[in-house]
Amino acid sequence: MPEAGTPHLARLQGLVTDLVLAPEADGFREDAAAFSAERGLGPDDQAALVLRRDRWLLYRDLVRTALEDPLLDAFPVTHALLVRQEAWTWAVDAFLASRTVSSPYYRDVAPAFVAWLADSRWGQDRWPFLLQLAHFEVLELDVVRHPDEPPPPGLLREPASDRVAVLDPAARNVAYGFAVQAATVEAPEPPSACAWLLCHRDRDGTFRVLELTPHVSALLARSQEGQALGPAAAELGVDPLAAFELLRDFRDRGALLGFRPA
Amino acid sequence: MTFSGVGLGLRRPHIEQVAALAAAPVPFWEIAPENVVGTGGARHRMLTGVLERDDVITHGLSMSIGGFDAWLPEVLDRLVAFLKATGTPWHSEHLCWSSFGGAHTHELLPMPFTREAVRHTVTRVKALQARLPVPFLLENISYYAELGAAEMSEREFVLEVLEGADCGWLLDINNVYVNSVNHGFDPKAWLAGMPLHRVAQLHIAGHTWLEAEGVLLDTHGAPVVDPVANLLAWVLARLGRPVPVLLERDHEIPELAVLLAEREALQRVYDRALAGVAHA
Ligand SMILES: [Fe+2]
Repeated sequence: MPEAGTPHLARLQGLVTDLVLAPEADGFREDAAAFSAERGLGPDDQAALVLRRDRWLLYRDLVRTALEDPLLDAFPVTHALLVRQEAWTWAVDAFLASRTVSSPYYRDVAPAFVAWLADSRWGQDRWPFLLQLAHFEVLELDVVRHPDEPPPPGLLREPASDRVAVLDPAARNVAYGFAVQAATVEAPEPPSACAWLLCHRDRDGTFRVLELTPHVSALLARSQEGQALGPAAAELGVDPLAAFELLRDFRDRGALLGFRPA
Repeated sequence: MTFSGVGLGLRRPHIEQVAALAAAPVPFWEIAPENVVGTGGARHRMLTGVLERDDVITHGLSMSIGGFDAWLPEVLDRLVAFLKATGTPWHSEHLCWSSFGGAHTHELLPMPFTREAVRHTVTRVKALQARLPVPFLLENISYYAELGAAEMSEREFVLEVLEGADCGWLLDINNVYVNSVNHGFDPKAWLAGMPLHRVAQLHIAGHTWLEAEGVLLDTHGAPVVDPVANLLAWVLARLGRPVPVLLERDHEIPELAVLLAEREALQRVYDRALAGVAHA
C-alpha cells in the first residue's frame, strides 16, 4: 500500500512499475482488481485496469523485451551458459525485480546487470565464475565506447627505469580467477585458471585482449600507482629490458599512450 | 537554417557508410542525444563527423516527462551541450512516462487521461523547457491501454497538455493511426480541431500487427503502410507548410539503400501534398 498522501498519478505509475518489473505481477494476472486495490486505487481505476488487463500484460512483455535486448547484445557467452541451464529467464526476472536500471542511457542497462550480479551474488554459488564472465563481456563495451580524451601533456615515447607507463584511458589492466577470455558461446564455462588481461581498443577502435604474465600485469598496476618501471621491475624480479620491449609493443598497439617521469 | 522534406533517423548500422559519403543523402537526420553523449571511440568519432557535416534534429527517448523522477544535473548539462553543438532547431520528447521510483523501464508508458496528469505534465514540460536552449516539442505516443479511469479522451489529454505547456507538437502520424485502429476512431476526426499551428515536425513509421493480442504495435520495424502515407499527405495539405517529416526505423533495420528508397517515395508524397496546397 503506498504511503498516505501519495498522488493518484504516482499510485498509478507505481502500480504499472510493479506489474512490469516485479515478479508478483502474477497477482495482477490472477486478480487485477485486488492488485490495484492493494496499491491504493479505487473501484473506477480497478475496473479500468481489469478491462485492459491483457494490454497491461502486453506492456509487461514490452518492458521485458526492452530491457533484455541490451543484455542479449552485451552478454552472448553469459546468455549461452545460462540458457543451457534454463536459468536465463530466471536471471532476467531477478535482475528486473531488483529495479537497478536507473540510468536514462540505454547503454547503461548491460553495466547495471553486472553491478546487480556483484551486489546480489545471484547464481554465484552455482557458477562461481558468473560475475567475472559477465564483467569481462561488458568490459568490451566499456573499452570500445570510452569517451575520447586529449592525451596528457609531456608524454614520452620510450620506456626507462625512472619512468612509468601511461595506459590509454580506454584500456583496462584486469585480473580474473577464471580464464574468461577463453569462454565462447559454444563452450561458455571458462577454464578454472587465473587470467591477467590488458584489454584495449586498437587504432580502428576494435576491442583487443592481450594475455599478460602476472608479473607484467603487476608492473602495469604499479605504474598506474606511480612507481617507476626500474624499481618495480626489480621488486617483481622482471628483466627490465625484456619488459621495456613488451611495453613498446603495447604502445604500438595503442594500449599504452606512452611514458612519463615517475 | 529551415528544415523541410523527409529526413531519416541515423542508425548505428549505417554510421560508417554515411560517414564515408561526401554529403548528406537526406535533408536532415534525427538523432537521440542519449545514444551519443558521454561516449567515445571510432564509431563515435564517425558519428560526430556526420553530425558536424549534416543538418540534425534531436529527439529524446528517456526523460520520462510525465513521471516524477528528477533529472540528474549531469544528464541535463550533457543534453544542453549536445543540443547547442548540433544546432538542432528544437528538441522533442514523448508525452509519456518511462521511469518511476528511480526504476527506468526504457518503454514509452501512457499517462492516465486525468486533469491531475495534465497539470503534472505541464509543470514538468515547463521546467524542462526552462533548461533547454531550443524550443521543446512533445510527441503524441501509441498507447495500448488507458491507465486507470479516464476523465477525458486521449485526444483531449494531448490537446490540454500542449495548450497548458504552450509548447510545440511533434505530431506522430503513425501513432495517431495505430491508436485509431486499436481504439476504434477516425484519425481525421481525431486531428480535426487539434492545434495544428503547434506542429513543428512530423513522424512517420511502420508498425506490426500482433495476431494473438489483436493489437497494432508501434514497432518502427516495418515499411510505412499506404494508409499512414495517405494520412501524412492529408495532414501536410491541412498544415499547408513544409514541416519536416522524419521516417523512423528502429527495428529490423534494412540496408541504407532500402531506407533511402523508402524516404524518396515519401518525399514524393510530401512534394505532391504541398504542391496541391500551392495550387489551391
Ligand atoms: Fe515517433
